[in-house]
Amino acid sequence: MKVIVVGGGLVGSTLAERIASDGHDVVLVEQSRALVSELNDRFDVQVVCGNGATVPVLEEAGIATCDMLLATTDSDEVNMVVALVGSEIFRVPKVITRLRHSGHEVGFRRIVGDNAQRVAINPEHAAVEKILSLMPVPGAVDVVPFFEGQLVIAGFLVRPKSEFNGLLLSHLRLLFPGNPVLVVAMRRDGEWRVPHGEDEIRAGDLVYFAVDPVELDNVMALLGHRHGKERRVMIAGATRIGIQLAHRLEDQKVPVTLVEPGRAEAESAAAELESTTVIHGSPTDRELLGEEGADAVDGFVACTDNHEENVVACLLARKLGAAHTFALVDNPALASLIADLGIDAVISPRLLSVGVALHFARTGNVKRVAALLDDAVEAFEAVVPGTSRLVQSPLAQLGLPRGILVAAVQRGDRIIVPGGADRIQPGERVLIVTTAAMTSRIDDILER
Amino acid sequence: MNSRFVVYLLGWLLLMEAGFVCVPLLTAALFGESIKPYVMTIMIAVIAGAVLVQFFRPSDRHIRPREGFLVVGGAWIAVSLLGALPYILTPGALGAVDAFFESVSGFTTTGSTVIGDTTVLPRSLLLWRAMSQWLGGMGIILFTIAILPLLGIGGMQLFKAEVPGPVADKVQPRLANTARSLWGIYVALTALEWLCLRVAGLDTFEALCHSFTTLATGGFSTRNASVGEFGSAAVEWIVIVFMLAAGINFVLHYRVLVGRGKEVLRDAELRYFLGVVLGFTVYFVLTVHHAGDRIIDTVRISAFQTVSLLTTTGYATTDVELWSGAAQLAVIVLLILGGMSGSTGGGIKSLRTLLAVRSLRATVHRLIHPHAVRPVKYAGVVVEDSVLSGIWAFLTAYFLIAIIGAAVVALAGYDVLTAISASLTAIGNVGPGLGEVGSYDNFVHFPGFVKITLAVCMLFGRLEIFTLLAWFSPEFWRR
Repeated sequence: MKVIVVGGGLVGSTLAERIASDGHDVVLVEQSRALVSELNDRFDVQVVCGNGATVPVLEEAGIATCDMLLATTDSDEVNMVVALVGSEIFRVPKVITRLRHSGHEVGFRRIVGDNAQRVAINPEHAAVEKILSLMPVPGAVDVVPFFEGQLVIAGFLVRPKSEFNGLLLSHLRLLFPGNPVLVVAMRRDGEWRVPHGEDEIRAGDLVYFAVDPVELDNVMALLGHRHGKERRVMIAGATRIGIQLAHRLEDQKVPVTLVEPGRAEAESAAAELESTTVIHGSPTDRELLGEEGADAVDGFVACTDNHEENVVACLLARKLGAAHTFALVDNPALASLIADLGIDAVISPRLLSVGVALHFARTGNVKRVAALLDDAVEAFEAVVPGTSRLVQSPLAQLGLPRGILVAAVQRGDRIIVPGGADRIQPGERVLIVTTAAMTSRIDDILER
Repeated sequence: MNSRFVVYLLGWLLLMEAGFVCVPLLTAALFGESIKPYVMTIMIAVIAGAVLVQFFRPSDRHIRPREGFLVVGGAWIAVSLLGALPYILTPGALGAVDAFFESVSGFTTTGSTVIGDTTVLPRSLLLWRAMSQWLGGMGIILFTIAILPLLGIGGMQLFKAEVPGPVADKVQPRLANTARSLWGIYVALTALEWLCLRVAGLDTFEALCHSFTTLATGGFSTRNASVGEFGSAAVEWIVIVFMLAAGINFVLHYRVLVGRGKEVLRDAELRYFLGVVLGFTVYFVLTVHHAGDRIIDTVRISAFQTVSLLTTTGYATTDVELWSGAAQLAVIVLLILGGMSGSTGGGIKSLRTLLAVRSLRATVHRLIHPHAVRPVKYAGVVVEDSVLSGIWAFLTAYFLIAIIGAAVVALAGYDVLTAISASLTAIGNVGPGLGEVGSYDNFVHFPGFVKITLAVCMLFGRLEIFTLLAWFSPEFWRR
């Protein structure tokens, strides 16, 4: 498949890299000459220098024969033009564009019509959804639903006091005999792996569980995570993400306090929101956070446009006693630095949009993709075709390489964790977890 | 100050009023009563009006806010003075001060009366009394705007001065069309009530008088014991419904007519207003119900007094002075609250109460959260600080004037309850009060200076304070 990615920023380059590693040919279009040579050196993709919103440049990139076009620049207007040129002039089979303003999304929809191959991705919307899915699960670094929410993958940092400390993975089944609970990935000493039954959980591990949602509270209890004293959320920063989040929490009847340093921004937020208490002040003002009860909140979300400040605000709130802190951080270097500082979850709108774009970019039987922290591990939900290797013999005899785990199967309307003797039936949906190195083998295993 | 134009406009208003006096003139002729008072009134009005219009023809037709206040305030005083003539000229009816009081009470839709026995008056005079309320209800200036094209752009200044409210709503792009729409709804509702009352058994004359004074939220009745004298539950329910309609913002009626009824149901002020009606009705039922009464009668009587006082109509079907102290206290609160903004009712208006309470809540919120940004919102929109401070200024002025009015009544030797309720009922344009001015009492026993004071309070209340208050500022008269 031939793919054109317009925009060589964090989102564009990450997407190009991931799509290329899936085995596709990628042409990256970038305007900045300095960036072009850097991209050429770092990634195994062809880079075209020029304005991707213009037809000649797109033609040079080979739009006439391309199968998929992704518009990922920082400007909504440019992305819109790129997507419309690709969609309406060149009839590219699949077009994905990043649009931050929902108003642009409306216009895009009107023009391209109701077409499943024309996708607009809103990174801010994705960030809000992510935070909302994390909120009910204190301590989780990530929560991703699969099988329409019948199973979630949730990552937790194992603390020294946790009951899970020293538990053999094969014993998890004994702890939770009724519903599926298993570990699908873990990181120890900076190294990722897809574990097997003889591994044990240790303090300091980052562990991803695939669990039935009804068991989440039990897993959290055993991990030693707790809810806050009050079911209340404090948001730092009246950015579009902050305001959207406050709106959604208001709908859920959760009391919200919004802290915003800009006077005008605070006033317009107060005008727009209903029950939210809007405070004019700095989110890194310790005195102010204490005054407004940051110590008792269930969740503290820092989503100002200054991502370093988000980290500081979260650490401060954590120190004051906030049960669960979220920081909006796009810079991967900063994100990796703070992973162990005690901030529960780091949200990157840009990387989230990468995940959503990949989900749409992957064709065929793969339904849902989630990149777990650091992108070192991926989880797929896929329909198994009759021609697949998976249906030919019981799992133990398939000889699947290490690093690929068939974590769950949807059988009828139940989710089961398959054992070595189980056999996948054609047409069933499975959840497969792989390390990044094994991702390119997924298609082989599924398709043939 | 463009005083020529102000005087010129007043001349036109007098000519117009002369036209309205033709209605009681024809009635008198029809019933074989003396037509002399009306003929004389019309002559005086036509001569005065013609002189003013002829000799004060202005070169500049520009109306600034100052002229607006002067025209509107002056118009109400001039119209009331002229409207007093038929009472004076009818043999054996009223003295000059009493006539002025009755006329102001009429045009301001208050409904306080100095007439002890209505049965001795000619029917044509009773009709004029009811009609003065009907004309004052929707506003004489608004009427002028609707029919006379002489105001042009300046009309909005007058509109704002006569229908001040916290916010002025134009339902149509052109002011004249807005005025016509509002008057059209007013006329239609009056006709509808007349029909209902006819069906319920009232004669044409009494049905018309009561329709006039219901829609104006005025409260003059042709009977000494007010609406209660008919002894008909059907009539009372009809009057309750139309008093409520008159107490609702006419812009909402307009929206229902043009098929935007859904947004009307979401209107916060309407919900609050109906909530107050329901709350006080239940309160009265609980406090005045006696064992042995039929509950349905208690409910009707409670609903009637609640709606009558809240919309500032002032009809009575029972003597609230026989009620308990707890119920009478609620009556005093009702004298203050008033109808919705944009209705024909008086009082401080529900929108002001609603916004004042929200403003208080925001203030308390800021006390608890010193750094909080907490605007006051109405219908999803932030209410400007200038509007809020206008509301607080209004409330301050309202109660100051009410206190001065009460002090004057008390100085004349009356008890506190009479003094306070007479003053509140005057400034709120309600009609009856408590004590010496209860549901079935009248105001004739007050000395002349008290009557004049209360009449001024009524004008203050009808023009929502500021239009007249501006007159008391030295800057207003400066060139």
